[in-house]
Amino acid sequence: MDLGLAGKKAIIVGGARGIGYAVAEVLAREGVDVAICARGEDAVKNAVANLRKYGTKIFGGSVQVQRSDEYKAWLEAADEELGGADILVPMPSAGSGLGSEKHWQKAYEIDLMGPARAVDVMMPKMAERGSGSVVLVATTSALEAMGGPQPYNALKGSLIIWGKQLALAHGKDGIRVNVVSPGPVEFEGGNWEMIKGTMEKFYNNILRQHPMGRFGKPEEIARAIVFLASPAASWCSGSHLVVDGAFTNRTHF
Amino acid sequence: MDVNRHVDVFRVNPDDWPNGTPAGKAPDPELGTAIIPADRYFSHEFMQLEWDHIWTKVWLLAGRSDDIAEPGQYICTDIGKESVIIVRQHDGSLRGFHNVCLHRGNRLRPEGISETPDLFRCMYHHWTYDWEGRICHIPDLDTFPQGGPPNDRVDAVRTGEWGSFVWFSLNPNVEPLEEYLDPVPRHLNPYHFERMAWTRDITVEWDCNWKTSVDAFNESYHVQGIHPQLKWYLDDVNIQIDCYERHNRYLIPFAAISPRVSLPTQIPPAIEEIMRNAGMDPAEWEGSTGDIRRAVQLFKRKHGPSQGKDYSELNDDQLTDDYNYMIFPNVTLNTHADDLMLFRQRPHPIDPDKMFYDIWMFELVPEGEEWPERPRHQHFRHGDKTIGQVLDQDAFNLPTVQKGMKSSAFRGLWLSEQELRLRHFHHVIERYVYGHNGPPQGAAKGA
Repeated sequence: MDLGLAGKKAIIVGGARGIGYAVAEVLAREGVDVAICARGEDAVKNAVANLRKYGTKIFGGSVQVQRSDEYKAWLEAADEELGGADILVPMPSAGSGLGSEKHWQKAYEIDLMGPARAVDVMMPKMAERGSGSVVLVATTSALEAMGGPQPYNALKGSLIIWGKQLALAHGKDGIRVNVVSPGPVEFEGGNWEMIKGTMEKFYNNILRQHPMGRFGKPEEIARAIVFLASPAASWCSGSHLVVDGAFTNRTHF
Repeated sequence: MDVNRHVDVFRVNPDDWPNGTPAGKAPDPELGTAIIPADRYFSHEFMQLEWDHIWTKVWLLAGRSDDIAEPGQYICTDIGKESVIIVRQHDGSLRGFHNVCLHRGNRLRPEGISETPDLFRCMYHHWTYDWEGRICHIPDLDTFPQGGPPNDRVDAVRTGEWGSFVWFSLNPNVEPLEEYLDPVPRHLNPYHFERMAWTRDITVEWDCNWKTSVDAFNESYHVQGIHPQLKWYLDDVNIQIDCYERHNRYLIPFAAISPRVSLPTQIPPAIEEIMRNAGMDPAEWEGSTGDIRRAVQLFKRKHGPSQGKDYSELNDDQLTDDYNYMIFPNVTLNTHADDLMLFRQRPHPIDPDKMFYDIWMFELVPEGEEWPERPRHQHFRHGDKTIGQVLDQDAFNLPTVQKGMKSSAFRGLWLSEQELRLRHFHHVIERYVYGHNGPPQGAAKGA
């Protein structure tokens, strides 16, 4: 199956590590020009250097999505540099945390407003061009309890609702919007690696709950995201795809 | 080294802190790469040499000054086959003497801290002794035609105090305490241990030689082996080791991520705890997890005074890091701005395969706050109870190390540069045991 991605342009927010980086890598391998941004300057530099090996145009920036003006300016610049983005995957995250109101503020500013600001900048451009594809990334922690009543879980959950409603609103513009909810994913430098090292019992407990006996890998989530983002998924919009190796117990009707 | 990142650790410039703990690197001693003979960990002969040349010659840690602040309060503590009583006198000074009744050899008191209003009375025939160990009364003295024992007293032991700790020596000719401890008092006085209160007082009988335990706390190489969780708590690679005449130390950055693992984006739980203990809200942290250590230092520097914590004599590194000292032969001090985790490692009276591992923990009491009640002393056997995750991990291997060292295939300890403190420790042991010329031919089979 040809995904029809060659020559397309994509913006990945939170694309220096983990799932975001894997999305950028799968896209670059498919011949897509990619702009990534993330918080850490070194991480972005490394990611850009690694992504260049696939021979497409790669553009990177160190950006904090809670600084709305700088963030929006970067998105404008990235879109211009790419010559108009076809694909937007805004997936920055503040990560989990409980017990301080600050976690709500950070989840709001980063997990929710990170995608919201990107959509605000990019939707009119995609609408003007008459086509575009947005994939929002939520989490299985929005579907089933994980780590307590965390702001991360609640605000990631709101992306599932918002994603569907964006799809309803922008179908007429030729823009598809889908949501992917990954289950726990482990990678070098990722939080599950740290949890494995520091809270081994909790880690093993989660591991035992995986029907396939292992955590997901970033590229296993990335391939699902890239499919939904690609022209091959032309009739997929407003969908919510759980990619978790059957980790969640509930039936996804 | 097996690392996956290069980390430049911020360290204070020693010249910026001329009156504080000397932070500069001491030149490494040239101690070669020879193996450390294994039999000194289990042979009765070497145990006797240690007794004759170390335990009866050096200054030893007895307890805390604030446990015996009032006249008549005393510490009774054992070392090997000996036991001593150290009593606070009316004039505030200390006097120590062997814990034994000269009549039939009964111990006068069990180990521990207590007080006596006037006299020590043997539980057997009620001979009594005063606070300095002089015989006061022998019941039916007229039935001893030979009279009382000579000198009318139990042999005295030397006593001293430093750092709010009580010390003693079985050696009547021992050098002054401060001279023996040098340079440690100069290094550790800025921590003001007298402002710290007991939080744990535990003795565990461990199934290993006392040196097996000292070694276990003298290197950070084992972190990647048995404490995987600490890689998200401290930097076990960028360590400064300093060896002095008989004591040594290493400086370990805490609130840091080991270069052996990738930098996580989420703050590791143990580092979050460091931040909370300092009064920070980890949720507010916006930067890289690699920059937290420095931020904690600056935060504590700024907010310490308002929290009743006087850090004025400590340098910035000391506000987060572990300044880990070993006072020869058997005291390990994990020194931190807000607490002290001290281990005293004592030999068993007769069995080189056993030891007493004393865990003494203290916490800084903020100015104006009430001192917590002193915890009761607990005593148990190796593995009977948890002593905390990290120390349980340390304890777990020691019995198998002790057994394995007796293997005919094991010639001795094969040490790395990361284990320089072990090499230095054994070098000092050799100096005490054999003198400056080193071990005689055939003294140790592995040598």
